Amino acid sequence: MTAAGTFGYGTEFNSIFDIQKLGAIVCKGTTLTPREGNLQPRLAETAGGLLNSIGLQNIGVKALIREKAPAWSSWRVPVIVNIAGETVDDYARLASELEGVTGISGLEINISCPNVKAGGAEFGTNPGTATKVTTTVKTSTSLPVIVKLTPNTNEIAQIAAAVAEAGADALSLINTVKGMYLDITTRQPLLGNRTGGLSGPAIKPIALSMVYEVAGAVTIPIIGCGGITTANDALEFIMAGASAIQVGTATFNNPHAPLDILEGIEQFMKTEAIEDITELIGAARSQANEKIGRAEIRDG
Amino acid sequence: MKQVTAKIIRNEPVLKELARRHARSISGSWLIWLRCPEIAREVRPGQFVMVRCGEKLTLPRPFSVHRVKENRVALFFTVWADGQGTHWLSRRKAGDSLELFGPLGNGYDIYRASKNLLLVGGGMGVAPLYFLGEQARDQGYALTLLLGAQTASQLYPEKLLPSGIDLVTATDDGTAGKKGSVSALLPDYTSRADQIFACGPRAMYRAMSPMPALKDKPVQVSLEARMGCGLGICYGCTVRINNGLRQVCQDGPVFNLNDLPAEELNPI
Repeated sequence: MTAAGTFGYGTEFNSIFDIQKLGAIVCKGTTLTPREGNLQPRLAETAGGLLNSIGLQNIGVKALIREKAPAWSSWRVPVIVNIAGETVDDYARLASELEGVTGISGLEINISCPNVKAGGAEFGTNPGTATKVTTTVKTSTSLPVIVKLTPNTNEIAQIAAAVAEAGADALSLINTVKGMYLDITTRQPLLGNRTGGLSGPAIKPIALSMVYEVAGAVTIPIIGCGGITTANDALEFIMAGASAIQVGTATFNNPHAPLDILEGIEQFMKTEAIEDITELIGAARSQANEKIGRAEIRDG
Repeated sequence: MKQVTAKIIRNEPVLKELARRHARSISGSWLIWLRCPEIAREVRPGQFVMVRCGEKLTLPRPFSVHRVKENRVALFFTVWADGQGTHWLSRRKAGDSLELFGPLGNGYDIYRASKNLLLVGGGMGVAPLYFLGEQARDQGYALTLLLGAQTASQLYPEKLLPSGIDLVTATDDGTAGKKGSVSALLPDYTSRADQIFACGPRAMYRAMSPMPALKDKPVQVSLEARMGCGLGICYGCTVRINNGLRQVCQDGPVFNLNDLPAEELNPI
């Protein structure tokens, strides 16, 4: 699937490739009222990565329902709406607004945006508030609920376990890693918002280890995200325990990246004679357990 | 929009390097010709392409289409002293392949009723104006091109410019053409112009914006911006115009000068 904020509303890609081939589209992070986003500059390229401080510029949930959802209802590919609030009540109201709207197949709760002052990652760094947001959204919607987690915490496994307990249907991780870029001529941070969120290949190892860790803490499906650029990257996340993956920043350099990755996974399965992708989910974990098990036996 | 792999026909420097203080230094400006019929067929003056500059960079780089000849497309680009993407691009050789996608953006809009067009280019602003000028000349419009640069070595060579277009030049230091900024030339040439098309740094638009000579003239300007995707999806290049927010990549890069508030014309 495509990662929120890197695929617009899907409609932009209609003329580029057959988006119906995707597993799902996660649309731009959406708030109750339209948001103008942060000051320029909003982008800075870094070694192997991209720092952004867009600040959730979006048209707001009402315009999304009016202008975007009608097109989605005729699509075969499910569209998941990423929702972001400043208060717990915002999330409840967003979920209620989207309830029963045709063309929407799921919600992804954004409790992990590092670029907004209120809400955002505040909710995602504390198991208590993460639980509260999840419970609230679950009681306000009949749609499947994915909770998107932030890497900007030491407690990702605890937070994952808490939101799973609160009824989340799946987890997506990770959102961007908080970072900064300084302009040595002005001696000031380059980004208008001073700090931003790092994405791209630079964060892949962080994302992968977090997916691996969280896969040991929950039984609900995990959607791996963070720097996935090639089919091999995607396979690593699946082997670490992800049931699905999201492609984000890679799409900027190669608009066909999501399809290229799907085709690469199919090719790998053919070469390795794998009938069902589920055979690969968590493969690294079970082998690791075996290794640990063997080591223990030897030590014993 | 097509995503293509194009063969490089030629890639050579046109302008020399320039060390600058308080501004990015330039390692030279290059002209690259690509064989890409898919883009050559579709592209309109003022549109741009996104070029993938090697495996190491996360983002593609936007470049205006500079010329189109049959199935070939030329880009004219500055190699920034600290620019990884443009350095990479300058090192590509004839026969190498380049991945790119486009054409993107809206492009300039010439009204059918117009007869006399005035083009105003500051520095690298000549890039899209060449294509616009050549095409408009072939369609029978009368054209004047005002071209400015910091110094003579940074002025696009006259012998490479299309024939049949009146050329007036200016340099900041007076080493070629009239001394001063290109925008200072404008008042002498606007009276006959039915439309004005500009491309240059935001400082140039800032100088143009309050000019009485431009008050009732339709002026289209191409904005440069930090871009992520080129497709209107990342919201990195948002600009505020008088009636709301726009994406430079998708809604622009060409805007009416009248629609741009003063604060958007500050340097970025």
